[in-house]
Amino acid sequence: MIVCVAVVGHQNNPLYIQSFTEADDALKLHHIVHCSLDVVDERVNNPKKSGPMLNETFLGLLYPIENYKVYGYLTNTKVKFILVTTDLDVKDADVRNFFRRFHSAYVDAVSNPFHVPGKKITSRTFAERVSTIVKSFGFSSAA
Amino acid sequence: MEEYPEELRTPPITLTSMVGCSDLHPLISTYLLSQQPPINNLALPDLSKINLFNKKKPDPDSIINSSSPPFIVNGIFKRDWLLKHRTKIPSVLAALFPTNHVFGDPSQWLQVCSDLDSIKSVIRARNIKLVVVLVHTNANDVVSEDRMIALRKRAELEAKYVVILNPNDESALQLSLNRLASIFSELSGVYYREEGRRVKQRIEKKNVSSVELIVRYCFKVAVYAEFRSDWTEALKFYEEAYHTLREIVGVTTRLPAVQRLVEIKSVSEQLHFKISTLLLHSGKVTEAVTWFRQHKNTYKRLVGAPEAIFVHWEWMSRQYLVFGELLETSSKITQNFPPVLVPSSKPLSEWEYYPAYYYQLAAHYLSEKRSVLELAISMSETPNEVDSGADSVGPSAYVGQFARLLEEGDNVDMQPLTDEEYTHYAVSEGKRFRDSLEIIALLKKAYDSYSIIKVQRMSSFCGFQMAKEYFAEGDIGNAKQIFDSIASLYRKEGWVTLLWEVLGYLRECSRKSGTIKDFVEYSLEMAALPISSDTGVQSDTGPAGPANLLQREIVHKEVFELVGEASVLTKNEDSSNLKITADESVQLEVDLVSPLRLVMLASVAFHEQTIKPGASTSITVSLISHLPLTVEIDQLEIQFNQSSCNFFITNAQKHQSVEGSDTQQKRTETAPSLLLVSNKWLRLTYDIQSDQSGKLECLSVIAKIGSHFAICCRAESPASLDSLPLWTLEDCIQTVPIKDPVLVFSGQKSTQVEEPDPQVDLVLGSSGPALVGEVFLVPVTLVSKGHDVYSGELKINLVDVKGGGLFSPRDSPYSTESHHVQLLGISGPEGEDDSHLDSDNIKKIQQSFGLISVPFIKNGDSWSCRLEIKWHRPKPIMLYVSLGYTPNNNESNAQMVHVHQNLQIEGNTAIVINHNYLMPFRRDPLLLAKNKQTSESDQNKQVSESDQKKQASESDQPESLPSNQKSVFIVSAKNCSEVPIRLKSISIEEEDGVERTCSIQHGNEDLSNPALLVAGEEFKKVFSISSNMNTSKLKLGTVCLRWRRDLGVGEKCASTTTLSSWVVTKEKVPDKNVELPPLIVSMECPPYAILGDPFTYYIRILNQTQLLQEIKYSLADAQSFVLCGYHNDTVYVLPKSEHIVSYKLVPLASGMQQLPRFSMTSVRYSAAYQPSNSSNSVFVFPSKPNFKTAASTNFRLEESIANE
Repeated sequence: MIVCVAVVGHQNNPLYIQSFTEADDALKLHHIVHCSLDVVDERVNNPKKSGPMLNETFLGLLYPIENYKVYGYLTNTKVKFILVTTDLDVKDADVRNFFRRFHSAYVDAVSNPFHVPGKKITSRTFAERVSTIVKSFGFSSAA
Repeated sequence: MEEYPEELRTPPITLTSMVGCSDLHPLISTYLLSQQPPINNLALPDLSKINLFNKKKPDPDSIINSSSPPFIVNGIFKRDWLLKHRTKIPSVLAALFPTNHVFGDPSQWLQVCSDLDSIKSVIRARNIKLVVVLVHTNANDVVSEDRMIALRKRAELEAKYVVILNPNDESALQLSLNRLASIFSELSGVYYREEGRRVKQRIEKKNVSSVELIVRYCFKVAVYAEFRSDWTEALKFYEEAYHTLREIVGVTTRLPAVQRLVEIKSVSEQLHFKISTLLLHSGKVTEAVTWFRQHKNTYKRLVGAPEAIFVHWEWMSRQYLVFGELLETSSKITQNFPPVLVPSSKPLSEWEYYPAYYYQLAAHYLSEKRSVLELAISMSETPNEVDSGADSVGPSAYVGQFARLLEEGDNVDMQPLTDEEYTHYAVSEGKRFRDSLEIIALLKKAYDSYSIIKVQRMSSFCGFQMAKEYFAEGDIGNAKQIFDSIASLYRKEGWVTLLWEVLGYLRECSRKSGTIKDFVEYSLEMAALPISSDTGVQSDTGPAGPANLLQREIVHKEVFELVGEASVLTKNEDSSNLKITADESVQLEVDLVSPLRLVMLASVAFHEQTIKPGASTSITVSLISHLPLTVEIDQLEIQFNQSSCNFFITNAQKHQSVEGSDTQQKRTETAPSLLLVSNKWLRLTYDIQSDQSGKLECLSVIAKIGSHFAICCRAESPASLDSLPLWTLEDCIQTVPIKDPVLVFSGQKSTQVEEPDPQVDLVLGSSGPALVGEVFLVPVTLVSKGHDVYSGELKINLVDVKGGGLFSPRDSPYSTESHHVQLLGISGPEGEDDSHLDSDNIKKIQQSFGLISVPFIKNGDSWSCRLEIKWHRPKPIMLYVSLGYTPNNNESNAQMVHVHQNLQIEGNTAIVINHNYLMPFRRDPLLLAKNKQTSESDQNKQVSESDQKKQASESDQPESLPSNQKSVFIVSAKNCSEVPIRLKSISIEEEDGVERTCSIQHGNEDLSNPALLVAGEEFKKVFSISSNMNTSKLKLGTVCLRWRRDLGVGEKCASTTTLSSWVVTKEKVPDKNVELPPLIVSMECPPYAILGDPFTYYIRILNQTQLLQEIKYSLADAQSFVLCGYHNDTVYVLPKSEHIVSYKLVPLASGMQQLPRFSMTSVRYSAAYQPSNSSNSVFVFPSKPNFKTAASTNFRLEESIANE
């Protein structure tokens, strides 16, 4: 189950962060998302270590922490998408698929002429779309 | 890692032992320890101690071997087995005997034999190897071969295991020690291999009764392998033991459930530790990390019974901690860190290579343990229960097992525990430790470790957890410090929710420590954070409360109640730490980088960029606040760098609150209301004026709210207004501080107050271009028109128009001649005495810079001076003159007024000097040097003869001069300036230190009247020179011209008054070669001829050599003359004599006529001679002219030249 998704801007500032848990651990998830930016930075700054992932937007598993797994995605405009899930056995293809759909939702949201680039995304449509994508996560047929 | 027993943490070291001759033991022990690898030695003082190695009870293994009735296995590992083998049971025993005992009398020999027997009986049971060492006691000891053989037989030893040690001979001792050490290592290797093989056989037979024993045997094999440094085998069997152990889980029922799991985990922990250590030491970091992950995943879910779950978490935490420590030490040693990621199905994240990651998780599991333990304690809360039962519980003989100790007199017995008892024991043990300290220590490790590798967000997260622990522990100082440092990161990156949480803690910290200013700052920052909608962060455990608008308003109200309540007495008692007494006040400073800019931001703009002194302009002060509720300001104070401009703005509705006497003196404005609505600019515009020139800058705006609270905002310019850090990310409309759209982009918080207009004229008189060499005067005039000039200063600057310096880079910059243009000095006003100004007035004169002080000039007066500038090279320059003065004599209020003036002046060359040499008329020496050159060029270029003639005639500058002959030197001076010039003299002067090698006539007289040269005119002067005899170089010296600018009408008087103003221009004449001509040809002919009147034409050929010269000559016919004489002939001129060829000519035509062309060739020098055209013509009068007397002098002059 996806517990948190986030869009992070150029200055590593959160543009959109939404958690999908009943429990009161939103703050903890925010911390996890924030920490995962270190891994993204490391991946981006030392591309030689990650070798084959050089030109790929999907960054793969960022790091495992207690009961969560954190995945990352970096767009061409250097906007980061972070996904936190509690599933311990996740297929890479599912995550890729999720990010692809998430990316297109993001593109639609920022293409809104009333959206100022670099500001937080407050679009309600975007939020609804994201929650749909999150709910359908794991069902490969949903692609 | 420290809690593991030492024998487990360090790699095993071979243990040996020795007995007898105890005085030698220290020597041998130290020697063995220094070996590589070291060997531990157990020194037994005497033979009786050998019984230590005796088996106390029958070995259970041997019982199994003998297939006796099934043996009950009580545990997996014996706790002390490893220690026993590391410290108690040696692999080799060395028996030391003095030689005199062995080779001495029979009674001693018998003693030796019986000793050997007893040793053998002891060690055989344990399979310990024996070495016999014979110690030389006396040099005279006779080594008897028979005894040696007998000894070996007794000991059942090969000859090589008997070592003879001679402590008296140094070199022999070293050799035998060396041999002893190698025997020890060899035998111990044999011992451990045999032991290992023995145990291995048991595994391979597969008739082992229980799985526990297999684990134990594998462990033993691995340890024996480690003893002999066989790491691969050790690793293999440790892994075997580990895997076998995994199979036990759920199978064995030997112990109650909880304790069973505890034992298995303890054993697996030891095995895992050994495996990780071995992997890391061999540099296989990736394998180690993968192994750890498997280990963790395998045991993670083996939580166990719920009442003892904390034991599991503690165990997990320890796994992480130990592995982190191992990784850290190994990364220090191996340095091949971090390794490349191995692509696999489940790739390792690079984070798993950082020790910090493990510390962080260790802390996490420990805090998990703590929370579960607290629960367990609260559940089993039976305070009155006697804890005696728990007290007597201790670790039993097996690893991971606990038992109750029953003491009955001297007898100590172990009694197994039930699970309840064990849990009770574990809880009571857990109570003894303060987990939070441990958690802090772990987090601190992670925090430091992350900080070192610059992973700041992770380290901040660790810091956050650490600070929370500190906070919970009540260590406010530490907590605050860490919270502060991580808050800055969250501020920078705009993580509002995280910042909110941290600020909440910081607020509580300051509340607890009673620092009211911090409390107010943190609270206000929280209240001003851009949290509008619900962010989903509900009431967490933190003290900040939920992050939403409502909570912001609550915080806002709390602060303003606090700062407002000082006058009123405190009503609520809970914030007892925070009180503002009546005489203290809180003032917050908001600068450009302060996070409190969100709370209040002041933007100040002057409406004009420059203002005149005394004139007034408008200033707009704009304030904005992001606090959720409206704030009412009582008074604003605007502060400037010119404190006389400061003023106050008071709130009309709260007028009574303005107090203080100092406000009476200052300007006070009243505004109808000073309400600061959330996120809306409050704009106030007022007039302002300043009398003082310079910069007028608004420094700060102080807002007073209540009588005890003030916010001091640094003023910011609208043009360079930084957007607010956190609010820019919000999706809200940005507003501008000023309505005027121009001022938004250009408004500045400072303005320039101009200096008063100068009322003094500065005039630079110019008189055309300057001439190189002369002292050029530039008159400077100051005319005061309304100002008195006090303490005036005149600055003069010479600047190259094209840029660059005024001195050439080749020359050293310090020599006076190096400047192309030079400011020589400043002379007093024109018309006065020409003496220079007083030296006090001239403050500084440099080559291109001058500074003089100007005396007091009253209004309406004028003052002037002249600048003396000298050009050394032609160059245009820019002259800058500026005057600075104060219009009144008041020193304290000295405002300088400046006047600037500049003027471009060209510098031209005045006179160009040329010079050339001439031979006397119709007299030509044969110069071999010149001839050689022409002949060479002739050979090269095949020039025709006619061309050669032309060359000869046209080259009026001969390359060399004939020696001892007179020649003519002409100097011409051309005026190339645009002004007339007076020329006083042209002379040739000797150079310093160079002797002149010729004599000069008409040399150095001045011209009787200075000659006037208008622009473009040329003046020539003729010198006649003759070189000295024995010289090859003609050194003339320097041409020296004295001239000056023509002064026109005033020429007469000026020439008498200023004698020194003649400019001297010098030019060196290049040296000339001189040679002795072998032949000199001169032609004689009357100066003129008369039509039809015959005359004689002589050609003299002078041979100056000691040789006979053969000369061929010819004379061509000429149209205008009839001649008689040889046309062609060859003559021989005798040495030092002269030959004259003469012709009689009758002119046939009048006018300028060419004489018959004479040409000759010197055979010896292969040199031809032809006269030049000019020297070969004569004027023919139609009839005899009537000359006047003047003409006769002319004639005489010409004749005399010809004669010479």
